[in-house]
Amino acid sequence: MLLKRAVPHAVLLAYVAAVLFPFVFVVFSSLKGSNVEIAANPFGMPKTWHFENYAEAWVKAKIGVYFFNSVYLSFTSALASTLLAAATAFAIVRMRFRRAGKWIYQTVLIGMFIPGNVLFIAQYLLVMKLGVLNTHWALFLPYTAGALPLGVLLLAAFMKSLPGELEEAAIMDGLSSAGLFVRIVLPLTLPALVTVFIVNFLGAWNEYLLANFFISKDALRTLPTGMVGFRDVFQTNYALICTGIVFSVAPVLVLYAFLQEKIIEGLTVGSVKG
Amino acid sequence: MRNPWIYTLFIAPTLLLYGLFFLWPMLSSSYYAFTDWNGLESYRFVGWSNFAEAFGDPDFRRAIVNNLIFIGFSVFVQIPLIVLFALLIASVKRLRGFYKTTVFVPSIVSTSVIGILWGFIYEPEVGPLNRLLALFGEGPIYWLAESEWALPAVLITNAWQWMGFYIVLVLAAILAIPREIHEAAIVDGASGWQRAFNITVPLILPVVSVVVMLSIAGGMRVVDIVLVMTKGGPVGATEVMASYMVNEAMGIDPNYGFGTAIALVIFAFALVLTSLYQFTFGRRMQGGEF
Repeated sequence: MLLKRAVPHAVLLAYVAAVLFPFVFVVFSSLKGSNVEIAANPFGMPKTWHFENYAEAWVKAKIGVYFFNSVYLSFTSALASTLLAAATAFAIVRMRFRRAGKWIYQTVLIGMFIPGNVLFIAQYLLVMKLGVLNTHWALFLPYTAGALPLGVLLLAAFMKSLPGELEEAAIMDGLSSAGLFVRIVLPLTLPALVTVFIVNFLGAWNEYLLANFFISKDALRTLPTGMVGFRDVFQTNYALICTGIVFSVAPVLVLYAFLQEKIIEGLTVGSVKG
Repeated sequence: MRNPWIYTLFIAPTLLLYGLFFLWPMLSSSYYAFTDWNGLESYRFVGWSNFAEAFGDPDFRRAIVNNLIFIGFSVFVQIPLIVLFALLIASVKRLRGFYKTTVFVPSIVSTSVIGILWGFIYEPEVGPLNRLLALFGEGPIYWLAESEWALPAVLITNAWQWMGFYIVLVLAAILAIPREIHEAAIVDGASGWQRAFNITVPLILPVVSVVVMLSIAGGMRVVDIVLVMTKGGPVGATEVMASYMVNEAMGIDPNYGFGTAIALVIFAFALVLTSLYQFTFGRRMQGGEF
């Protein structure tokens, strides 16, 4: 009986070890002195802890710059997209233009069936025509737009479930539809807004393809592309590359530690409905 | 509630952005795909020749095959493992939350960072994989530089990144099965394995079907991991359609007409494969089992 209960745990722990090993390996390697030390002792802890690697990577590799760019681009585009999607979902679900609402909803949802890379070249040409290539607008606009279909889908579903008496109460209180949206619907929708924001934030934080081709100025790069450039420059210094990896993964993991339920819910719900 | 101005104000920004970044690119792609536009002012209509050129190129045909290999690997190797791990996690009480939280971790990490990380693991001189092999006296394998190893190496990395995501998806479906069904089966004397295969698996088929759909879409979308790890090499061994498109269209000698034609081919493949699946297995798996 005991054996029977131990088998699933043994299999699962082996899998968890396979999932976590690369992360542990990278953290250990980031604190080692040289490639020789990594090669001699790939699986163990460092003999002496070289914390100075972190300071070196932050300055030398401009990780600080990439980090800031990623934070502010992900934050602004996620916020903009969430609010726009909320306004649209509100208009579609709660306002009295049912036919138009249905059409808009269907049209926006088609976006979820188009694989991102199919639009890539045309978006590149568009961004070039708009004259914003090589500026942060070139990422902010497609990130904001790209997150809209899922945001509208999730927020419309949530707002539909709010009680129908809201409108009546708002009219009694003399609120306009804009007032109803800002004062009542947004606060009530907060849990769904947080979920959508997190999904959008992670999407922008991790995006690589657009960031790589729409931005070529080093000072404007985000972490995913900056990291690849960093690897290509410091190809032989693995300790330093590993510190870079730690810098870019750590914030996401910290966020995950606090918001794991929200993050898991947001990412999985979106994929099943889409 | 009836003010059309407010209504317009609420939907206009979304429609504008959506129109610009989804509808317009689809339309302009369908136009450029039939031209030889390379970024300069003048271009010609070339009919279907971009498509003919693509399918005539053995490198592109290989990329198509590699996309299909990505899908096949997901469906026939990853999904059985995903279901197995989800069943195992659902079967234990202790540590269930821990397993769920940890297996999900890779799916929140950026693909480019994962590519770099695994590039290090596969590194021939100092990478841990070859150090491990060296313990058994095996010579160094250049995982990402040898044609026969590069694709499996990328496939494993891709599986490592996404399996946890799907495990959590399937796990949620398993845990949503009403307890009474299992209790009734226990009363009837069904063993753990019997319940897993005769009750749980049939009941989660709809979600497994969704995972198959997502794997098909994912196999068509794959590109970041290839660009970061191998850039499609060695000699096209890991090239997929999207990386082929990017390399052809965005190189020093850009060819946007050709690139958008490839984009349409990817889109067509995604549509055809998902609807083929829907009409053959998908519909049967999604409906009627309950």
